Amino acid sequence: MNKIPINIWINESRYQQLCQSGLEGMTKEVLAGMKVLQIFCTEEQKDLLLKRYPQAKYDQSTTKSIELLPAEFKENLFNRIVEKKSLDVITELL
Amino acid sequence: MDFIGHGNTVIQERKMNSSEARQLVEKTKQIPISSRVARECIDLAYGFFTPLIGFMNSATLNSVCQEMKLIDGTLWPIPILMDIDKSTIDKNNLKVGEKVILSYEGVPLALMDIEEIYQYEKQKIAQAVLGTTEKKHPGVMMIDQWMDYFIAGPIQLMNEPHFQPPFDRFWFTPLQLHKIFKEKNWKRIVAHQTRNVPHTGHEWLMKGAWFSANGDLSVEKLKTGILVSCIIGPKRIGDYIDEAILLTQQELNDSAYFNPDIHMVSFVLWDMRYAGPKEAILHAIIRSNLGCTHHMFGRDHAGVGSYYDPYDAHRIFDEIPEGSLSIKAIRLLEWFYCPICQEVTYSGLCGHTKERQNFSGTMIRSIIQDKVQPTRLLMRPEVFQTMMQSAEQYGFGSPFCNEKYLKERRPIFILSPVSK
Repeated sequence: MNKIPINIWINESRYQQLCQSGLEGMTKEVLAGMKVLQIFCTEEQKDLLLKRYPQAKYDQSTTKSIELLPAEFKENLFNRIVEKKSLDVITELL
Repeated sequence: MDFIGHGNTVIQERKMNSSEARQLVEKTKQIPISSRVARECIDLAYGFFTPLIGFMNSATLNSVCQEMKLIDGTLWPIPILMDIDKSTIDKNNLKVGEKVILSYEGVPLALMDIEEIYQYEKQKIAQAVLGTTEKKHPGVMMIDQWMDYFIAGPIQLMNEPHFQPPFDRFWFTPLQLHKIFKEKNWKRIVAHQTRNVPHTGHEWLMKGAWFSANGDLSVEKLKTGILVSCIIGPKRIGDYIDEAILLTQQELNDSAYFNPDIHMVSFVLWDMRYAGPKEAILHAIIRSNLGCTHHMFGRDHAGVGSYYDPYDAHRIFDEIPEGSLSIKAIRLLEWFYCPICQEVTYSGLCGHTKERQNFSGTMIRSIIQDKVQPTRLLMRPEVFQTMMQSAEQYGFGSPFCNEKYLKERRPIFILSPVSK
């Protein structure tokens, strides 16, 4: 079951792209007004990501999410979401 | 005027003039030292570690490990040691009673009167100080990498470090800080230790501590100040670059989020041991030597992983003998954002426990790494801007340490050659 989030932070321009894809309703506010789009991974996908990107971190204490993934990977993830108009993209990027 | 530091000891700088240093270079053996030892030489020489005047001998090390005290009974939680390898001892025929120059990157830094050369089981040090010998603990890793011998004795600085921009703006010795506090007429000074670019949670931590420290003092003429005391030491990939830490902390002052009359930024050279509660005591000692009267301790101070309970660094202050420290610990819970109150608030005060949004340092780093500007409730826009400027100017485009930064960054300080 996919349950571990990757947070993609949403600024103005990303929000507009999401609106165009009809995905703006998928964002939520998590921290002091910061909008985030959450993509969920399985435990196995989390391990694979942490192995592939050693600087990334699973924040066990507060957010329980995968953080510090390279900006390029997250950019790809976001572009693929917008292109596919779906959040179900993690498998194809691993 | 004398300024008194930890252990009721007068703070004294231990340094010699340049002609003395030049004469010594001609006739004295020189041995190389690591960057950690160089930083601790500087700390010892300027009195950051008062009452220590040099690297510890085996009797003091034993006492610190077993009783958290120096030989004379002064509270001291973490050994200050100079490690050395056997081949350096043999090659230089180092002997107790002689003087040796400690040179950093080929330049003389300090002179040591050798008092003792000894061995000590490193695992015992780790167990006593860190409470573990697990190699994944970064403090254990550090101790484990030390060489097999220790060399002890008082040191004297031969060559004052020249701090490079932007560090030069923030370098203040204990004596300088005592004088500055006196000039500012600050009666109470609360230290905030940090290795972070500040988000609003940090800002409120400092503001909350200021209220605690100011306590019963008059509020008509403010006499309580905040000293942001950044830790500058070895970096790891993903840490904020040192320059961004200092400049963004100062930005809170420049942009008047803190009244400049009650706030200043400085730094201490220190290699974190991540010793949790024991390191909290050491931080309190160092800040008492800087002239601070209070030191704030938040959640998980100097901790790592799950080696210590998040509030162990608070509780240890209940266990030390009364009067053994001249600085008071201000214990703080967490500040977080409450979407109901629509403000940054304190976990001891706000009752919206289910709705609270905790500041996660990791999450904020993730936002910045995604190059998304945080909301002003999360990070002041001027702080974000300064951080990104520091990234361009000092961090090869990133506010976080990367391999290039670690390899090619500008030195924090340089030493002038001591010519014969």
